[in-house]
Amino acid sequence: MIVLTSLRALVRRRSRTLLALGGIAVSAALLLNMTMLASGLTSSFGELTRAQGYALRVTPLGTLPFDSEAGIGDAAATEAAIEAVRGVAAVAPVLGAQLYAVAGGSVGEPVFASGIDPDEQMLYLLVSGSDPRPDEVVASEPMAEAFDLEVGDSILLAAELDVALGAPRDVVSFRISGIADFIYNYAGERSVALELSRLQVMTNRPDEVSLFAVAATPGIDEDSLATRITAATTDLSVYSTRELMAAMDQRLAYFRQLSTILGTIALAVATLLVGTIVTLGVRERFGEIATLRAIGVRASRVRLAIVVEGFALTAAGSAIGLPLGLWISGRLDRILLSFPGIPERVSFFVMEPLPAALALFTMTAIGALVGILPASRALRAPLGAMLREEAD
Amino acid sequence: MVTLLVGLMSLQLGPDPGILVERRLAEALNLSVGDAVEVEALGEGGSARQFGVEGIFERPPDPNRISRNEYEVRFHLPDLEAMLGEGDRVDRFAVTLDPGADADSVARWVESLAFGTQVYGAASLAERSSSTFTVISRFHDAIGIVTLLASGIFLLCLMVIRVDERRSDIRTMRLVGISRSTIVRAVVLEAVAIAAVGSVLGIFLGALLSWGVNAYYAAYYDTTLRFAIVTPELITLALLLGVTLGIGAGALAALRLVRVPPQRLGER
Repeated sequence: MIVLTSLRALVRRRSRTLLALGGIAVSAALLLNMTMLASGLTSSFGELTRAQGYALRVTPLGTLPFDSEAGIGDAAATEAAIEAVRGVAAVAPVLGAQLYAVAGGSVGEPVFASGIDPDEQMLYLLVSGSDPRPDEVVASEPMAEAFDLEVGDSILLAAELDVALGAPRDVVSFRISGIADFIYNYAGERSVALELSRLQVMTNRPDEVSLFAVAATPGIDEDSLATRITAATTDLSVYSTRELMAAMDQRLAYFRQLSTILGTIALAVATLLVGTIVTLGVRERFGEIATLRAIGVRASRVRLAIVVEGFALTAAGSAIGLPLGLWISGRLDRILLSFPGIPERVSFFVMEPLPAALALFTMTAIGALVGILPASRALRAPLGAMLREEAD
Repeated sequence: MVTLLVGLMSLQLGPDPGILVERRLAEALNLSVGDAVEVEALGEGGSARQFGVEGIFERPPDPNRISRNEYEVRFHLPDLEAMLGEGDRVDRFAVTLDPGADADSVARWVESLAFGTQVYGAASLAERSSSTFTVISRFHDAIGIVTLLASGIFLLCLMVIRVDERRSDIRTMRLVGISRSTIVRAVVLEAVAIAAVGSVLGIFLGALLSWGVNAYYAAYYDTTLRFAIVTPELITLALLLGVTLGIGAGALAALRLVRVPPQRLGER
């Protein structure tokens, strides 16, 4: 009954309740966004790493994939050594290089080329056509669009430009074997994939790759497999998805820390807002509370009513904040995905149920607890003075 | 960008080619001028080569490189070319022009002379390399708008409560003939005062937080870069926004009440 009276007070003061709900909803949305941002890109990147089943990466010592121009020499022997490790299901070699598309004797923008083993690749998903065979390439969708390419068309590619002669050097004609969705590409990136051996020859990097992607056999612990591969090779860094995510986390420390700061601020704003509303609400109902005390209602019940009032406000505000937060995160994600070089498929904001629920629970709990202070003050105030004040 | 493996080899400086070592790397490897180090280019198939530390340098505070935060070493160009097996090859040239030279014509001339090269002026290079920070800036603006919305609602809520508390005072004022506009002005003034005081406190809090953020990142990245700065323009903007919010919140709260006939202002 007492609790219901307290809740009715919220309905009676409709305007301020709606405003308070609005403020809490925005704060909850911001807190949710920061929770999603804190681990979003890392976990999204983790999912991308595992795409196509290749969960481990082997790179030149001390570097992350495509972090530098360093390559892995003796690639064939290294690949064989990795394949021999217990728990390795497949090894996909990748060589990254820059090529130039040549059209009508002139050279366009550089194109990112990946040398792959078409039978063991994890870079793209075919949209049409087939994997590249000798003298064939698979083009990314933006590349096909930019050069008006279809399966069966030809494209001229050069690895080097002759600065003195003013012409591309060693131009090679390739047939387009397929159009594909390159899963690690940033939006609009023009790229091609061709046979590894062909790219090695074109770029004069014999028996060299940029990295190996490794698929583990089902049930094998990725971290122990990474340790075994490290032991079987020399001068290489081996990352399990977890380690790769940790390395990414280190790189993206700025966003993690920013989200912590902004999340704390959102929590503080919500606490202040609920605290102010409940405190002023209690102050306004001093007479009501005094009357309840005078007729013998237990202090604990009055305190409970005030706590429930704060809880109801923050719970309702958080419930509104949830869809609002998801909507805002979509907008913020669109802004951050315009970062140069960020794969189109990752997301900075990922809704993970547990952290999101924890954040909103914390906000609701604080909203409930914040009422204890004004409630205690109202319950400690001299009854006579309170009643006289109300009568005045 | 090349990746090199640097290791401390001995403490004697021989007739080795010299390198400059970044201060953080020197501290990590306990190197000082005169020491010898072995350097190996990863993945190039070459063997390690010995260099003498000619000097220790402090890397410039470059925000573009802060997230990778890698150690840096400077070589004489021929030494690095030899290590990488790429003779007579560079990534880029920095060009200083004679006073009065037209940068655009020089750029066009160089591009026509050296096929495949691209020439950027300092401003356009800065613009291209700062695209990451443009995105971060847009993100911060968006967060700022959300925060502004939350604080605006907070202020409006506060003003509604404060005005509601004084319903009987306002009823009396209205009944004795004080005009609606006077009451609205009084409430707006009060809201502006609250917003202004809040903004000033917020500026101090912001300055304190900026100091904390900079101190934290300076230690985290071992850099002299400043991540957060409070400028006079920002202070002015914060005050202007605060006062504007105050006017808006005060006006809305007051108008809500002065529209009610004074006889009904006493009702709960």
